[in-house]
Amino acid sequence: MRVRGLAFFPNFLLREVVIMFTTAASIFLLASLFPASLLEPANPFETPKPIFPEWYFLYVYGFLKFWTWDIGPLKAKTLGIIISMVLFPLLLFLVPFIDRNPEVNLKRRPIAVLLGVITVAAVLFFTIYGIIFE
Amino acid sequence: MRRQLYEWIDKRTKLSKYWDSIAKHPVPPHVSDGVRTNPVYCLGGIAFLCFIILVVTGMFLAMYYKPTPDEAYDSIRYIMEEVPMGAFIRSVHHWAANMMVAAVMLHMIRVYFTGAYKPPRELNWVIGVLLFLLTTAFGFTGYLLPWDQLAYWATTIGIQINSGIPIVGSYIGKLLMGGNEIGPNTLSRFYAIHTIVLPITLTLLLGIHFILVRIHGISGRYL
Ligand code: HEM
Repeated sequence: MRVRGLAFFPNFLLREVVIMFTTAASIFLLASLFPASLLEPANPFETPKPIFPEWYFLYVYGFLKFWTWDIGPLKAKTLGIIISMVLFPLLLFLVPFIDRNPEVNLKRRPIAVLLGVITVAAVLFFTIYGIIFE
Repeated sequence: MRRQLYEWIDKRTKLSKYWDSIAKHPVPPHVSDGVRTNPVYCLGGIAFLCFIILVVTGMFLAMYYKPTPDEAYDSIRYIMEEVPMGAFIRSVHHWAANMMVAAVMLHMIRVYFTGAYKPPRELNWVIGVLLFLLTTAFGFTGYLLPWDQLAYWATTIGIQINSGIPIVGSYIGKLLMGGNEIGPNTLSRFYAIHTIVLPITLTLLLGIHFILVRIHGISGRYL
């Protein structure tokens, strides 16, 4: 295979170790400064306000609030769920089979780069939408 | 002494025969030139480190946590207030989990924009998407365990959304709840999924993921 380059062990791993220590240190720091919370015990008869899911589900949450259009027999809520919970993950799985361009240079795959930027922007947008419209 | 230990182990494992092929593969210059390392290539490793921290802190939490509606909340409060280092361990678990999801997302974005999903790495991308979904499933099941107001109601909404998937949704809902409402069955199965099903599945997939990375080597330059 390749002859050029830096040996993974120990040269590269040593550099990784520095990054790993930084990561671990930030986790310990965050944990000391902002301990995990514990609210009142669960009460099935009293809904608190607001209820937030974990931040990485907010884009689904935001999208379901955003999508208010019925199409044919499909209700808006069902469509929102189909798009964000079925089609989106499916599309992620299919990325290598949709993009058949063998180029890896960023400049020579403008469509893939554009679609990627749009996807990231959309996920961020719906995340914020989910927070604001709670 | 060190030499003897080395030889004793090597006689029994023949490790030195395999060591070079495990550890001495070169890292290409666009990843690290020996002085500077491109940090976007460390995100997978950062996610892995978070996972290890989660496994270790999770083991300690599991020693005190009790997965029943009557005891769950109190056991968490006991961890927070009585167990030495308990609050710290739980908080590290909390933050490592959030960090892991962030690292996995950024890793996926890096793989996308460097075109690293292209042949022959398609299968590893598909495994990657599975790893991403499993990571969020960890978060979803873990969120219920403290059995506080947020846990209960956020899970209620999450299950409602899952139940809204056409055709299979109502089965998914029943399967997640272990019945028709969130109760003792839900809590114990979320605990089982969170601490047995997902860790084993994720570990197996990670093994395949890493083996494939070694077989392919890191993808070429993207600029
Ligand atoms: C639990 C989560 C994951 C862990 C611990 C993990 C770990 C790793 C590690 C350590 C590498 C070596 C290079 C690097 O660190 O960038 C790697 C490469 C790779 N990962 Fe992941 N990964 C995870 C999730 C994912 C996801 C979500 C995807 C994409 C959907 C993915 C796709 C890939 C691909 C295609 C490669 C090869 C990249 C290349 O050759 O440049 N992985 N992974």
